[in-house]
Amino acid sequence: MENVRSSTLPKKFHDAVVRWGQTFLPDYQLLLDNWEKFFPHDRRHELCAYRQMGMCDELECGTMKGKPKFGRAAEMTPELADHLLKAVKAQASTELGSIQQHQLTLARAPEEVDQFWVLRMMAEELRHGYQMFHVLLEDDWASVGDTKGEDMVEEILQMRTGSHVLGAFNVDFDSFVDNIVFCALIDRVGKYQLAMQKVSAYKPMAESMPPMLQEEAFHLATGVVPIRRWVQSAAKEEGYVGMDHLQKVFNKWFPRGLDMFGDERGGGSNVKMGLKPMNNAEAAKQYTEEVQQLVSDLNLRYLRARFPKLSRDEAQERLKRIVEKGDTVEGVGPDNLLRLPHNSFFRRRGIYAYQMIDVDGKPIETLDGFKSHLKSVLPEAYATARDMTKFHELMGKVVHGEVKAEDAVHILPNLSRVGGVCPCSRAVRWVIDEPAKSNGH
Amino acid sequence: MAKAKNAGGAAAKAPKGEIALRPVNELDIEAVCAIDEKLSGQDRPGEWERRISYYIRRDPELSLVALEGKKVVGFMLGEVRAGEFGLEEPAGWIEVLGVDPACQGRSVGRKLLEGMLEGFKARGAKAVRTLVNETGQKELFGFFEAGGFEPTPIRTLERKV
Ligand SMILES: [Fe+2]
Ligand SMILES: [Fe+2]
Repeated sequence: MENVRSSTLPKKFHDAVVRWGQTFLPDYQLLLDNWEKFFPHDRRHELCAYRQMGMCDELECGTMKGKPKFGRAAEMTPELADHLLKAVKAQASTELGSIQQHQLTLARAPEEVDQFWVLRMMAEELRHGYQMFHVLLEDDWASVGDTKGEDMVEEILQMRTGSHVLGAFNVDFDSFVDNIVFCALIDRVGKYQLAMQKVSAYKPMAESMPPMLQEEAFHLATGVVPIRRWVQSAAKEEGYVGMDHLQKVFNKWFPRGLDMFGDERGGGSNVKMGLKPMNNAEAAKQYTEEVQQLVSDLNLRYLRARFPKLSRDEAQERLKRIVEKGDTVEGVGPDNLLRLPHNSFFRRRGIYAYQMIDVDGKPIETLDGFKSHLKSVLPEAYATARDMTKFHELMGKVVHGEVKAEDAVHILPNLSRVGGVCPCSRAVRWVIDEPAKSNGH
Repeated sequence: MAKAKNAGGAAAKAPKGEIALRPVNELDIEAVCAIDEKLSGQDRPGEWERRISYYIRRDPELSLVALEGKKVVGFMLGEVRAGEFGLEEPAGWIEVLGVDPACQGRSVGRKLLEGMLEGFKARGAKAVRTLVNETGQKELFGFFEAGGFEPTPIRTLERKV
């Protein structure tokens, strides 16, 4: 990487991250030992922080556009510093959270190459967490509160699946399909967050982004390429992932991805303050467009593998007919292909949070009806997961008027894990949504 | 050089009537397959999955696609390498390019080349190289010649095995 400065954390913190890695990423050394085999000539992975030099010195958006960016939190208004700090902590939490999730099912990868790509991605997520710790530890956050950077790092290192800041990182993986679909859908949200934070009013944050974005591009390929292969195998009735299962896994993750953008009515103050160039709704819209493109490409691949005699144009035509008109042609109808669930389905944040809506966006009348719908459209193993049990509990309370939907969005799953330290004892409650304003943005 | 607005990546778009560039990403695989299929008559998804993910892994900002609106109409893939064949200096290598035949004559290739050259320079490359079959790929040879490329004394040697 050109024009990039690298540095390490003070030994105490560096060692803490290494120890964390030994627990949650036990194959880290295996990756380094096999680096040349799977990634010949690629720059070797290093656990360090990178800063891109020579970036824009002036605020790139918001009411202070054109003014110099901030190098220290103390130079910022407390409100701005507070928003920024929440974003840094949330970012750090997602990086480490995803490693804990991936580790659960990493060993079940059917192919070694896919496994090592995921393993490299996990090592890079560890570096991303390290990068955010670097941002936290290099500054003094006294203007925001009493908690020192050191204690924030400790809090984040203590988090477990169930106590992370964002919902998507509190969902257990059931199979290696989760590892891959997570990369394609959830890391894609990560890419948006990083791309937006590249303009951050806080220079250390902005400078952290380009090297992270470079790694993120690889994470997305780690997801998309195997799915493309699986779809082609499914069309030939080979392989181990069918289209219906893949659809269910998309149904599981896409709503969590949309939730990560925050309330559709919010994000305006981040733009005004110069922390991000897009509000939540705009970013979620672009994200949805990308995932829609992925789904269309996968469907085209399915048709071409299933009907090799069709030309590309003929396959496109047929795809249109099946998706838009609902036709079944030579045994392939809409149910044999993938589709994006409606953006109101299974949401836990924003305007559709805790509403009983099906995958097509149609309301469901009863709680039992909604439960059985979820059971039919989500992966079987997920139906009995802790995250689902908690969701149903909360959903029941919302339906029975015991909890308001707008309050439910702020309740974390609080999942305790058998046989470990109770994660709740040190769980952190950062609500990173700004309160939704009624007039929107 | 028109750069596509690129806040999130694939949502990037060229201004109306213009050809814009942005780095290649994993969602371009299908579009690149389509261009290759028009040019070669073959559908080779596995090949492009492998190649594009290789360049994304190595340096995701360097290899480029050309856009007309949101549609990918051309691509150029390459990387900077050093120390190969005793050539110590870092050099840019252009491995493959393709332009949608429907867009030929609109300088898509030239724009891609200029964009790549900028990227190679920024990465410290002292020269840019590519391999072209002078007799079998006349058009391509002409394209690189027009772009300021010259034959070098370094020769490819080959024998059948
Ligand atoms: Fe990351
Ligand atoms: Fe990632």
